[in-house]
Amino acid sequence: MNTQQIVVDNAEAGVAVVAVHGEHDVYTAPSLREQLSSLVEDGTPVVVDLTPATFIDSSILGVLLGGLRRAREHDSGFALVIGDESEPTVRRIFEVTGLFPVFPVFSSRDEAVQAARSSSPE
Amino acid sequence: MTQTLSDVWLQVPALPESVAVARQALAGLCEALEVEPKILADVKLAVTEACTNCVVHAYGGEEPLTQNRIFEVEAHPDGSELQVLVRDFGRGIAPRAESPGLGLGLPLIAALSKAVEIRGAREGGAGTEVMMAFALTETLKGKK
Repeated sequence: MNTQQIVVDNAEAGVAVVAVHGEHDVYTAPSLREQLSSLVEDGTPVVVDLTPATFIDSSILGVLLGGLRRAREHDSGFALVIGDESEPTVRRIFEVTGLFPVFPVFSSRDEAVQAARSSSPE
Repeated sequence: MTQTLSDVWLQVPALPESVAVARQALAGLCEALEVEPKILADVKLAVTEACTNCVVHAYGGEEPLTQNRIFEVEAHPDGSELQVLVRDFGRGIAPRAESPGLGLGLPLIAALSKAVEIRGAREGGAGTEVMMAFALTETLKGKK
């Protein structure tokens, strides 16, 4: 597997789960931005699962904030998963920037999918 | 005055793909020094942010990739500290209304490091240097 893979899983009915694997920074931010934009523009509720990520920086944080903003503009669901087994580095950037309360963050994918689905209109 | 450090020295093109190279080099040094995972995480994030500034801000997006469009990373353990210097040869720090980022890079570096100093690279020359110092143990950093 590509160590920087971004996997979009549409198995959850009506919700796209974007799993972010490995290390992500300014190099991979455009790819993630494109994925999220495309899903949000289609009105698809989105869950970004950061549990398999081993590193993210402020470029990725910017992409996630942009995704959240656009989802709200489209009245569409958007949630993050940061599991208990997530790398401390991933959790750390949310703590240091104080951005944890800004995002709907869940520790399991099921909870995040539920939240993203319920915050989108039928 | 420009300091010259030695234990890690990298000179790479100021391109997005170079940031991971610098991060991995610093991670390798930290692992060799057996620093704690939390400090390793802080070093990786701060160095990434400093290098990203070199890539995104130092040279302007329109300029072609030239031999001079590079950045350098130097790291040197000094007693209880790790000193890291990230240097570019670009246009210096200035406010950018069209900045593509969140503006979190330098605040993050300040929050994650024990000390940070930002200065013009060389007398009469172009560029910016970001000198960061990290405590090599949590105890020395004044935390539990």
